[in-house]
Amino acid sequence: MRSPFAYTPRQGPLQAASPAAAVVYLGSLAAVAFAYSSPVVLLAAGVALVIAGRLAGAHAAVRAALWMGLTLALLIVAVNALVVGRGETVLARLGEWPLFGRVDVTAEAIAAGAVIGLRAAVVMVAFAVYSACVDPDRVLRALRPFAGRSALTATLVSRLVPVAAADAARLRDAARLRGPGAAPVGRPPLARRLLAGSLDRAVDVAATLELRGYSLAAPDTARGGVIGRRAGVRRSRYDRRFYAVGAIVLAAAIAGKALGADAFAEYPAVEVGVGQATLTLSALLVLSGLAPWRPKGRRA
Amino acid sequence: MPDLATPARAVPALAIEALTYTYPNAPQPALRDVSLRLSPGELVVLAGRSACGKSTLLRAACGLVPHFHGGEIDGRVEVAGIDALATGPGELAAVVGYVAQDPETQVVSTTVAAEIELPLEMRGDPPSSRARAVEEVALALAIPHLLDRAVDTLSGGELQRVALAAALVTRPRLVLLDEPTSQLDPVAGDELIWLLRRLNEEWGVTILLAEHRLERCLAAADRVVAMSSGLIAFDGDPRDFLTWAQDADTALETPAARLFSLCGLEPLPVGVRDARRTLASANPVPPEQSREEGVRPLSITTLTSSDLWVELASGEIPRDVLKSIDLEVKSGERVALMGRNGAGKSTLLRTAAGLVDPVRGRVEAPGGMALLSQNPSDYLVRERVGDELPGDAGMSALRVVGMEHAVDADPRDLSGGERQRLALAIALAGRMEGEELPGLVALDEPTRGMDRARKDDLVQLIGELADRGAGVLVATHDVEFAAAFAGRVVLLGDGVVIADGPADEILAGGWYFATEVARVLDLPRVITPEQGAAALTNNAVALLSAIRQEVRHQGLPSSKQPDDVALPPAMRKQVRPQGAGEEG
Repeated sequence: MRSPFAYTPRQGPLQAASPAAAVVYLGSLAAVAFAYSSPVVLLAAGVALVIAGRLAGAHAAVRAALWMGLTLALLIVAVNALVVGRGETVLARLGEWPLFGRVDVTAEAIAAGAVIGLRAAVVMVAFAVYSACVDPDRVLRALRPFAGRSALTATLVSRLVPVAAADAARLRDAARLRGPGAAPVGRPPLARRLLAGSLDRAVDVAATLELRGYSLAAPDTARGGVIGRRAGVRRSRYDRRFYAVGAIVLAAAIAGKALGADAFAEYPAVEVGVGQATLTLSALLVLSGLAPWRPKGRRA
Repeated sequence: MPDLATPARAVPALAIEALTYTYPNAPQPALRDVSLRLSPGELVVLAGRSACGKSTLLRAACGLVPHFHGGEIDGRVEVAGIDALATGPGELAAVVGYVAQDPETQVVSTTVAAEIELPLEMRGDPPSSRARAVEEVALALAIPHLLDRAVDTLSGGELQRVALAAALVTRPRLVLLDEPTSQLDPVAGDELIWLLRRLNEEWGVTILLAEHRLERCLAAADRVVAMSSGLIAFDGDPRDFLTWAQDADTALETPAARLFSLCGLEPLPVGVRDARRTLASANPVPPEQSREEGVRPLSITTLTSSDLWVELASGEIPRDVLKSIDLEVKSGERVALMGRNGAGKSTLLRTAAGLVDPVRGRVEAPGGMALLSQNPSDYLVRERVGDELPGDAGMSALRVVGMEHAVDADPRDLSGGERQRLALAIALAGRMEGEELPGLVALDEPTRGMDRARKDDLVQLIGELADRGAGVLVATHDVEFAAAFAGRVVLLGDGVVIADGPADEILAGGWYFATEVARVLDLPRVITPEQGAAALTNNAVALLSAIRQEVRHQGLPSSKQPDDVALPPAMRKQVRPQGAGEEG
């Protein structure tokens, strides 16, 4: 079974765009998630990415990323609520716990956890859309001028996710096949094993890349051809759109910071700013999710 | 810069002198004082047990050692006149192609066409010549229909061909292959070997092929190089190699050579045709009884499937992988599940283990089931064997597979065979009642990359599991391995059971799914060298006559006169009186 995050060729502006344009566009929304704490802005960035992913046809990737991201967000909320006792609004007093000490669950700690979780979920959706819509072959070629002497670097950037996704499926099956008397796999050992195994396999793939001549100096004549036509270094007429939208999002995010669009405080009491700057930036972010839109009947 | 792609024809395809190499942090060298020279147009088989240095030698010949792996190296390596120690693998790619054992790690692109075209694009070939080269190599390897496919929708055999196409597309002088048939079914494996021979003959490509299943490739080889502990232990023609292996390492003997060894016949055959020619008039007598008959009463059903249908998505389109499978496995049975790549073997095991849901019908393992999947390392997630298998249940499982001594070991320090046993113990743990095994133990392709010594250990383990009452079901491509362990063979073809019967009937009656001995002797119920030797001994007189005629026909040197043809003592007793008469 294919991973939902695996790249699938489709006729869409985001797939047709050069990797750099796609990275600028998706990266600008991820950057907003890192830079902002306002849940309104984070939610808007998340909505933009979901719209973008769905317009690009990456339904399965968006669904899987939302599922994983929201699960992670819930975990973060729970941990933060138990670990952080700050805040004025105490919802529950759970008494003394071993290791934790006195545990008071506050609304502010839950809100703070939710913001961190939301941020993680937004970044995961951005990465899922990138993985499902940006052709790794073109990423590999785009990286050649920068990572030509290091096939390993290029492989890690372009192939680690597909390799890890395939390994994860196998490891999940092996975990299900363990006898009931064997030690339960547990997430940390599985994650370690997955990372180590994926890195090992990425090294093997990098060796193959070396053997294909990746480290040779990039020739100027290598344009077009079968790869060029199908997945190569060509530019797309959509590149400008994604560069422009990415630049507008980044510029608006910087301006929004200056104008107080990130008005949010967790402690001592939750305060969410919904001023004009916040709402304007959020609306802009949601609109940016329409960048991969393509009128029906037009081919990418 | 020298013209790398067109070195002079007279230059050796590969010249290695006094090469010693040690991997980073390794206690001892992987290669020790290795010298080897391959002439243009040779097809050379590289033989040897696991971890003897075959893969390292291939990696040195393509520049990955030392440029990619690091380590300490001493000596000289030249590929088509280019110094491989001074030049990186990228530059060597113009003259050498490399195909590794695992096809999944050899693809770096998302589509087949892009994968094949990549080396040409990297070296800057113009688009028109790239398109032509891709088309031609696809035609040569019979894969033009795959060009637009995504690589992650291909089977192992298809991936292996794509990797070979990517290695050949630059028209290299030297092609290095590291066990390329280990994941292929017998049909695809044979096709690949003969494809290499054709490329070798028609394109003049020099081929260095590391392989464990020597019976597949020896007949196509010009020369055999055998390695042992990082040294070259033998270098000569295939027939001499078999004679050498008879004394030096019987694990390297082919089944046909083993058959001849058991009968004391010489010269040893390098392939089926060679052996058949020698034995043309021998008229051997088959044994009367099937091997499995009378072995043990079979009573308890350990696996039952009826009208089992399974549908899987292949790319975007779902297809029926299993179609109305009816199958039963009884306790104590040793069953080989065979068939071509994609026939549905693994899917059947995965469905029985509950990893895949059938769309119709049912499959049950009433006494429980332990499945060891294709990659045992997937089961190992901790750094101590005892941590993987805690408590009495864990220790019982370790005892079953003979690994109780390794409870404090790090799984990464175990040998490949030990890791496989440990993974099996993990699958068994908690599924046993005391020391009693679950009803069914299933193994999926357990012999990938194994040498014969390790396969023999696995045959023994399977025998022990069956003797303890478990039904053992093993999906395998390895016909010789199936002949060694199985009492019964179930042959799948495109999701349907096309044959089901005693191993010595199924594996004797076909061409591809038949052992080498079966193909040599073409007798019912004769599939192993031991059975073949017994059949031959039953009619030694005719055999001797045939051999003498053949030896005369082949015109062997005077030092090897017909009367010198050796026979084992048991055969000599039968032969001597009549043989004397014949001489007179």
